[in-house]
Amino acid sequence: MTLFWGSMILSSIVFGFCTGKISLISNTMVSVGSETLEFVLPLIAVTCFFNGIVEIAFQSGCIAWLEARMRPFLGFLLPDIRHDSETLGYVASNIVINMFGLGSAATPVGLKAIQGMQKHNLDKTVASRSMITFLVLNTGGVTLFPTSIIALRVAHHATDATSFIPFAVIATFSASFIGLIVDRWWNHR
Amino acid sequence: MQLSALPLSVLLSTGGGIIADLILPAFILIILTIAIFKKIDAYSAFLKGVKEGFLLFNDVFGSMLSMMFAINLLRISGLLDFVAGFFAQFITEIHPYLWAMMLFRPFSGTASLAIMVDIFKNLGVDSFSGIMASVIQGSTDTTLYVITLYFGCIGVKKIRNSLAIGLVSDVVGILVAILLTFWFYS
Repeated sequence: MTLFWGSMILSSIVFGFCTGKISLISNTMVSVGSETLEFVLPLIAVTCFFNGIVEIAFQSGCIAWLEARMRPFLGFLLPDIRHDSETLGYVASNIVINMFGLGSAATPVGLKAIQGMQKHNLDKTVASRSMITFLVLNTGGVTLFPTSIIALRVAHHATDATSFIPFAVIATFSASFIGLIVDRWWNHR
Repeated sequence: MQLSALPLSVLLSTGGGIIADLILPAFILIILTIAIFKKIDAYSAFLKGVKEGFLLFNDVFGSMLSMMFAINLLRISGLLDFVAGFFAQFITEIHPYLWAMMLFRPFSGTASLAIMVDIFKNLGVDSFSGIMASVIQGSTDTTLYVITLYFGCIGVKKIRNSLAIGLVSDVVGILVAILLTFWFYS
C-alpha cells in the first residue's frame, strides 16, 4: 500500500512541477483535510442511519433468513468463515443490497461483515483470505439497478433513460465473476 | 436488437426513477413490519446501531484522507488527463472524454461521475458516447474507495493482492462495457 500510495503522490508532484501546476498542487495540500471531512461526515451520518436499520433487521431475524437462503453459495465462496453464520449473514445482506443499487445502505453492512472476518484473522494487520474474496466481490459491484446513473440520465432528459441497464448488468457480472476466478487462481491454487 | 423492449425497462423509463425510489422505503417497511410482528424492541435496536456507526469515524477518516490526497494530486497535476490523451491518440473511435472517465473510474467515483455528466451535457445523453459512459459507470464500483474504506475500518495495513485483483476485474468490466456498446449501438 505504501508503495502504491507513495508513487501516486511522487509522480503527480513531479509531473505537476514539469507542467507548471505546482501552485495548484500546494493549494490541494491545504484544502484536502477539510475536503475529506466534508466527504466523510455525511458518509458516517448515512452509515449511522442504515446501521440502525440493519440492527433491527438483525434482531428480527431477517439477516439470518437471508443467510440461510445463500448458505451453499457463501460457504463455497468464503470457506474459512463457513461456521460464523452472523458474519455470513452480513455478507449475504451486503450482496443483496448492492444488487438493488443502494450503495449507501450496503456499506454499513459490508463494514460489519469485514469486522466479523477480522475476529477470525490471525494477524490483524494482514488481509485474510475471506477479506480479499469479499472485497473483490464488492469492487466488482454487482448492481441490477444503478440508481444514480438512471437519475442523472433522467435529469438530462434522456429519451431512453434505462436501455443501458442490461449492458451494465452484463458488464458488472463479468467483472465480479472474473475477479473471483482470478482470486481463486492466484491465492488458492 | 432492441433490448429496451424488455417490460422492466419500459416500466422504468415511463416513470423515470420511480422503481428506484420505491426500493428503499419497501425494504424498511418490510423490516419494521417483521420486527413489530415478532415483538422486537425496534426503537432500542435502531439507537444501538446508530451508536456503533459513529465509532467508525476514527478509523475511516485517516485512511480516506490519505487516499483523497493522492487522488487529488493525480487529478490536479493533470497526470491522469495526460495518460488519457495518450490512449486517445491511438484509438480514436473512443472519445477522449471517455478515456479520462475510464481511467478515473477505479480511483474516484465522484470524478468519473462528473465526467459522465460532462459527456451528457456536451455530447448528448442519448449519443453513442453518452450511452457508453452510462454502461462504463455501471460496470464496476470504485475499487480504491472500497479497499481504503473497508481495510481502513479494521486497521489492516497489508492488503496483499486485493488491489491488483480489484483492478483486473475493473478492466474486465470496462472492456465488456465498451464491446457491448459497440456491438449494439453502432
